[in-house]
Amino acid sequence: MRPPARVRRIQALIRLAAVVLAVLGAGALAVPAGAATLVINVRAADGRPLPGAVVTIRPLDGAPRKVAPVHAVMDQVNRAFAPDLLVIPVGSTVEFPNSDVVSHQIYSFSPAKRFQLPLYRGTPYPPVHFDQTGVVTLGCNIHDEMLAYLVVTDAAYFGRTDHDGAFTAEVPRGRYTVGIWHPRLRDAEADLERELSVGETDRADLTLRLGKSLEPAPLIDRPHSWDY
Amino acid sequence: MPTSRSSPPGFWPSRRQRTRRATHITLTLLALCALLAISAGSRAAEWQASLDTRLVSSDAGHSLMDGGLGTVRFGSNDEGLQLGRLRIALTQHLLELWSVHLDVSAWDDKGSNPAGVTEAYLQFRPYPRDGLRFRLKAGAFYPTLSLENRATGWESPYTLSFSAIDSWLAVELRTIGIEGQLDWLGTRVGHDFDLAATGGVFGWNEAAGAELANAGFTFTDRQTPLFDRIGRPGVPPVYGERPFVEYDGHAGVYAGLEARYLDRVVLRVLRYDNRADPTVQDIVSNTIAWETRFNSAGVRVELDDGWTAVAQWLGGETTIAPPGLRLDWPFRADFALLSKRFGRHALSARYDRFSVRTNNEEIAGGWQDGHAWTAAYVFNASEHWRFTLEWLRVTSSSYDRAEAGGPPLRSETQVQLAIRYAIGSTLR
Repeated sequence: MRPPARVRRIQALIRLAAVVLAVLGAGALAVPAGAATLVINVRAADGRPLPGAVVTIRPLDGAPRKVAPVHAVMDQVNRAFAPDLLVIPVGSTVEFPNSDVVSHQIYSFSPAKRFQLPLYRGTPYPPVHFDQTGVVTLGCNIHDEMLAYLVVTDAAYFGRTDHDGAFTAEVPRGRYTVGIWHPRLRDAEADLERELSVGETDRADLTLRLGKSLEPAPLIDRPHSWDY
Repeated sequence: MPTSRSSPPGFWPSRRQRTRRATHITLTLLALCALLAISAGSRAAEWQASLDTRLVSSDAGHSLMDGGLGTVRFGSNDEGLQLGRLRIALTQHLLELWSVHLDVSAWDDKGSNPAGVTEAYLQFRPYPRDGLRFRLKAGAFYPTLSLENRATGWESPYTLSFSAIDSWLAVELRTIGIEGQLDWLGTRVGHDFDLAATGGVFGWNEAAGAELANAGFTFTDRQTPLFDRIGRPGVPPVYGERPFVEYDGHAGVYAGLEARYLDRVVLRVLRYDNRADPTVQDIVSNTIAWETRFNSAGVRVELDDGWTAVAQWLGGETTIAPPGLRLDWPFRADFALLSKRFGRHALSARYDRFSVRTNNEEIAGGWQDGHAWTAAYVFNASEHWRFTLEWLRVTSSSYDRAEAGGPPLRSETQVQLAIRYAIGSTLR
């Protein structure tokens, strides 16, 4: 007996997903000729791996690599930005829906992008365009404890360190500057910038250790209704 | 004392007063219904309702609301089941930058009205620009002073009974006027700290300080509703003091500064002066204006592991000057509170000290000295249910208690088990 139509559709979807994954996986494994794997390890001042740090990699020679703009989403869930940090290429747009029952009024007065946006549940607003590089600090005019960051970058390669404090990128051989940013960073960003050459080998490693400990993380277990 | 000391025509409310009460309830309920109706039609309305009931054990003297000199909210005559607070609060956003807040509560049947408004104000919150933000409040609300009462409805999340300082504010102090605040949001522009300056101008404050002189500091969480009355030793609230009255034509002022380190430390200082003319008497109510000014400073520190510490000090003086006399009552209170949260549970302990002095014991009387220990366990079972067990012991010596034939030095212990059920659109 043939399985019901719904099950067949799901099976077909699973097969399709498997094919897509296999193609993507093969693509990821195939390092282009003349390319190498660059692994940036970020360590906190105490030597422990630092997850969530923003890593930017810029080539020092050769043609600059343009990263295509993206369309990202930063939601409001339980009176918090979700996610609370996004790294986007310059020229990208970000949509700010509101999944909370309560209203929010988000704002930024960062030089990279100044804007104000009242967010009422169920009322969509047009996405915001970020056309200048820099860190955009977001807050809510009603809920002071809400805080988020958008890192708008023109770097050729960028991302955030994983649970082990590592960020990996496939880059052509050449010279690069590597930068680090974190919302609670006390070090000057310039102090953490490094130059490195990706030369003969297929893999280059760089370990960056912060000079100063991070600021304490925001307290998260206080009820939102408390005066903070 | 040259305040209204004429003996009341009857201790309990007359039929006329009961009728007036009924009218008052009806009007309050109608106002609430109107606001609810407006809110229901709007997407941005936020509301909360809660019922807080208490099981009370107490060996204290009759409370101020029973015309006594007991230092806690519930005297031995109040043992058993009591209403802690029945509260309905609404916040309505208007346009983009304005909001209205209304807080209505019923506490017990001791006030001159069964329910009343504790806070009602309009707020203007423009968006911050270049790290600076301005806020304006107009209406009736608490000045930016308490570091302990940070939960909704101006309650303490740590204990049931407020500190001596915050109990006094709850009973006699409210800004009925406007308050402006200018914030510098340093943490949003790459610094570790924020700064704020606050200033207020207000009226309806001629009686602020009268309770301190008449009865001294007390420990309560009953917040006097606007334009309601409170008791005075020997006088029940129906004929008692009205904390929020205006007849001298002088506006009071306060100014405060605040500094914050990240979201961990808050430092606050405030100078308050109701600028009342202590010589002005109101013929109608047979009361005199109390000139009250004080300074306050406090700090709150919160750590990663659920520890919170609060310390606050308040010191000042209240004065009346009937013809040929000048009577001063300098007062001072401070407390230290330590609290530790364990998930849904919290344990807190607080130590309070307080004193009221007088420059003329024979005429003014009214000195008081004391200290108090409070221990509380709070269990936030869910967003709807909260259980609190609190033990409070106040040891005080009081001139007025001796005058009234009691022992000048007395320890009073009050134990409360509170069960609170809350519903609303914004609970946590």
